[in-house]
Amino acid sequence: MSERYPGYDVLAKRGTPSWNEQTRRVIDQRLALPREPRFFGAEEFRTLEAVCARIMPQPRSRPPVPIAAMIDAKLREGRGDGYRDHRLPPMGEAWRHGLHAIGAEAQRRHGARFDALEPAEQDALLQAAQDGRLAPAAWQGMDCALFFAKRLLPDIVTSYYGHPAAWSEIGFGGPASPRGYVRMDFDRRDPWEAAEAKPGHERDAARDNARVG
Amino acid sequence: MRRRGATPALRDAPRALGTAGAMLALSALADSAVEHYRGSFHNKFMYLPLGVAALTLAACAREAAGARARPRSSSIDRLAMATGIVGTGFHVYNIGKRPGGFSWLNLFYAAPLGAPGALLLAGLLHRIGARLGEGRRDICGVRAGPALAGLVSASLIATSAEAALLHFRGAFQNPAMLIPVTAPPVAAALLARAAVTPQRHHPGTRWSLRLLAAVGLLGSGFHAYGIGRCMGGWRNWSQNLLSGPPLPAPPAFTALAIAGLAALGLIEKERR
Amino acid sequence: MRRETMRVSDDPERTPRGKGGRAPDVFQPGGWIPMREYEDGERVDFAIVGTGAGGGTLACRLAEMGFSVVAFDVGPWWRPLEDFASDETHQQKLYWTDERICDGADPLVLGANNSGRSVGGSTVHFAMVSLRFRPAWFKARTLLGYGVDWPLDWREMWRYYGEVEQALKISGPVNYPWGPKRPRYPYRPHELNAAATVLAKGAEAMGIAWAPTPLATVSAPRGNSPPCVYRGFCVSGCSTNAKQSALITWIPRAVRAGAEIRDLAMVGRIETDAASGRVSGVHYHREGHWRFQKARNVVVAGYAIETPRLLLNSASARHPDGLANGSGLVGKNLMVQSNQAVFGTLDEEVRWYKGPPSLAITEHWNYADQGKDFFGGYCYMSQGALPVAWSGILAGRGLWGEKLRQEMENYNHQAGLKIVGEVLPDERNRVTLAAEKDRFGLPVARVTFSYGENDRKLIRHALGFMRQSLEAAGAREVWDQEDDTCHLNGTARMGNDARSSVVDADCRSWDVPNLWVCDGSVFPTVGGVNPSLTIQAIACRTADRIRALAARGEL
Repeated sequence: MSERYPGYDVLAKRGTPSWNEQTRRVIDQRLALPREPRFFGAEEFRTLEAVCARIMPQPRSRPPVPIAAMIDAKLREGRGDGYRDHRLPPMGEAWRHGLHAIGAEAQRRHGARFDALEPAEQDALLQAAQDGRLAPAAWQGMDCALFFAKRLLPDIVTSYYGHPAAWSEIGFGGPASPRGYVRMDFDRRDPWEAAEAKPGHERDAARDNARVG
Repeated sequence: MRRRGATPALRDAPRALGTAGAMLALSALADSAVEHYRGSFHNKFMYLPLGVAALTLAACAREAAGARARPRSSSIDRLAMATGIVGTGFHVYNIGKRPGGFSWLNLFYAAPLGAPGALLLAGLLHRIGARLGEGRRDICGVRAGPALAGLVSASLIATSAEAALLHFRGAFQNPAMLIPVTAPPVAAALLARAAVTPQRHHPGTRWSLRLLAAVGLLGSGFHAYGIGRCMGGWRNWSQNLLSGPPLPAPPAFTALAIAGLAALGLIEKERR
Repeated sequence: MRRETMRVSDDPERTPRGKGGRAPDVFQPGGWIPMREYEDGERVDFAIVGTGAGGGTLACRLAEMGFSVVAFDVGPWWRPLEDFASDETHQQKLYWTDERICDGADPLVLGANNSGRSVGGSTVHFAMVSLRFRPAWFKARTLLGYGVDWPLDWREMWRYYGEVEQALKISGPVNYPWGPKRPRYPYRPHELNAAATVLAKGAEAMGIAWAPTPLATVSAPRGNSPPCVYRGFCVSGCSTNAKQSALITWIPRAVRAGAEIRDLAMVGRIETDAASGRVSGVHYHREGHWRFQKARNVVVAGYAIETPRLLLNSASARHPDGLANGSGLVGKNLMVQSNQAVFGTLDEEVRWYKGPPSLAITEHWNYADQGKDFFGGYCYMSQGALPVAWSGILAGRGLWGEKLRQEMENYNHQAGLKIVGEVLPDERNRVTLAAEKDRFGLPVARVTFSYGENDRKLIRHALGFMRQSLEAAGAREVWDQEDDTCHLNGTARMGNDARSSVVDADCRSWDVPNLWVCDGSVFPTVGGVNPSLTIQAIACRTADRIRALAARGEL
């Protein structure tokens, strides 16, 4: 649950005119995603989960969005972006190289697996990758800064914000068909939109959000 | 209760005007409730027309049922008229303060310019009806028939203009949307002519007003159809009742038609 | 995994819907309309490759004129009312997701901004912005001193723009602030959302005009289309059919006029007759097999990457450098439009997810020639990115961790201004064939792009101006999105001279008289407005020209 939008859950609208049948099908599938990897090996997946936890830290107040599993599913389906920067290999290959390289760097720096490092050590390693400061040998010719900017970061972040829990967190209206929106002006919300908690009036927002539907 | 000191013609007019006033007040109540709810009652004054319209509706309904107007109903009428005028001021401000000022875009989507006028008219018609019921034969120095006819004519033009604006916004996508921009001006013109010609009987004018009364009710039917045509239809009522065509608006024409028929009756009887 | 709950026979991405003498009725859940079908061996008048703004429009107009038409699209035939979910990730099925390689100094990002794959093409996912060219742009070289002149007259195009605006019932302002007088838009403009009001306030603060954007989505009922419900998922596909995409306008008209549309049909090669050098038909892959459709004329309308790719892949002994490539220009002069933006945070709730993403626009810098240190123009529009897209934009700033989460929590307070900016033609920007093959065994496209100096000056000017404007409208923490492009044009340009162009003013290729190109590839310059209206206008004109040529026996 979000502090900004206390008690707001887009899933509460699942049975309302805001959701159509196809949307229910699609979101149900997303929520039922298997957590075990089918593209990555076990070790790669452990590294990926640890990377996701640092790139996209999640609130402890709710079950975590299974970002790693979502990326695994995307790579297994082979549903690409429809283009590729020529300096990067295709996405599945890029991810494998990247995760191995991150694992190798963790060993080189700390003599341990990436997922066994302290959060601060993990962050430092990831920052170095973003800055392009990691030794190229482990990256098999792939530019680590480019991989970070074009694959690692966007894939993790867009997976997270493609999940209903994240929509509730940021107060997004969520699915909207056939029912869209009436009030489009500043500081106006329809009763089926998220209510933002104003300082000192958090209970009002929570009460409004309980009625969203 | 029989009125003393009133001629037979005047006996009917107050009741008709009470009916017209009640219909306008009901339309204003329902319309302002929906539209101000859509506006989130963001300004606390937006509650006022609901209360005033309800009071006006109650006052007019008594008159419509045949009772004589109570003395304090004149304050309700004045309150209704003042609210209508002040409301128009608020609406003008709402339109003008947006980027683009009095642009087509803001006329389409900001507060509707003519809407508070319904309350002004409700109070005015009721007041006129009450004074006629008391035995008065003129309004502001003009004989009652032509004065009322003039008022109703002008109101019909204004209401038709409001419908024209919103139907223009709807691109006149359905031919029926032309009805409220044609029938009311025709009735208004005929009524105005009836007020000034020496002719005794006006059957054409009477029929155009009766037709207009039907148009007002038909309009709500068309608007209901229009809501059904929006995405999700009536199942999506929580959106479409607000963003679809306004159900309570068209009966304003019925109300004015009733007032117009009362005016016509007065004119014809005054010519005898 | 996506398809687990759908029967394979229902899945428009697996099984063609345009067959068996019928086509989907996009307005009736589960409904069908009759569709004429042609035998492969029947030599149809026109085989059209691609059914988007160019191919869909042309298929409709030619069929209505009585020509026999078969149009092919590799994309699925969607039923928007049933197939479209309110979910950005799922709806990526509308975008071209087969591989393309991007290089150059500024490698392009493809997908949502410029590459659709559907019957109806990119109009199924586009943002509906429907703008006319500034008339002077048709003579950019002569009148404005840059680029090249088009072989078209603006007054003729003005008429065709009107025809398209009527066909799509464009919802636009009662008075348009820029350019010569135009007929009133058929439908009235949409209400501004808060994000659009930010643009308006900012424009007023800068002393420039603004307008509600002319959009191809209806503001009142139209036939079977309900008015827009302002759900905001426009670029992920309109599930209410308010959006007047080619899929719900030109295509149904085309089918009713006797055209056949073949979905899930990838045209891989255009066949030419060895003796005459004329085209004789198209090889296409559908339902697991390669087939060949005979045709008297072939129109290529695959948009600016697939069109040159197909022409290059159709090389033969007679046309060793690719079909219609006597000028050597097929694939060259690729132009995108710059799509940079400024974003900021407001104290008020904006909730920009409500309504079409770009409800307000200013074309001031398309029509003002003073105060610029660059050639060409740009418009800019208000923004409304949904969460997945917005998170991708923030990721583009390099934000991650708690910083990113906190930024994202401000989602309902964001406003933005984004340009559609002119990029000049440069032969070094091009589409060529890569060594890699796609799932059909065809060489994939390599897309090479670098900005030029003029392009960068325009971008700098735009970012500076928009920043001022956004701040004047009350936004704080304003930042620049510097890395984004949109649209694709130029790779089969039209011109008056066979040495410097691929097709003539009628979109007919110089080299092969029965080969035509009718899409954004034909633009010699790209202007500072979204191309869809111009592409459709060119298609309407091309149809008229074809009718005139046929009447004179010159086809």
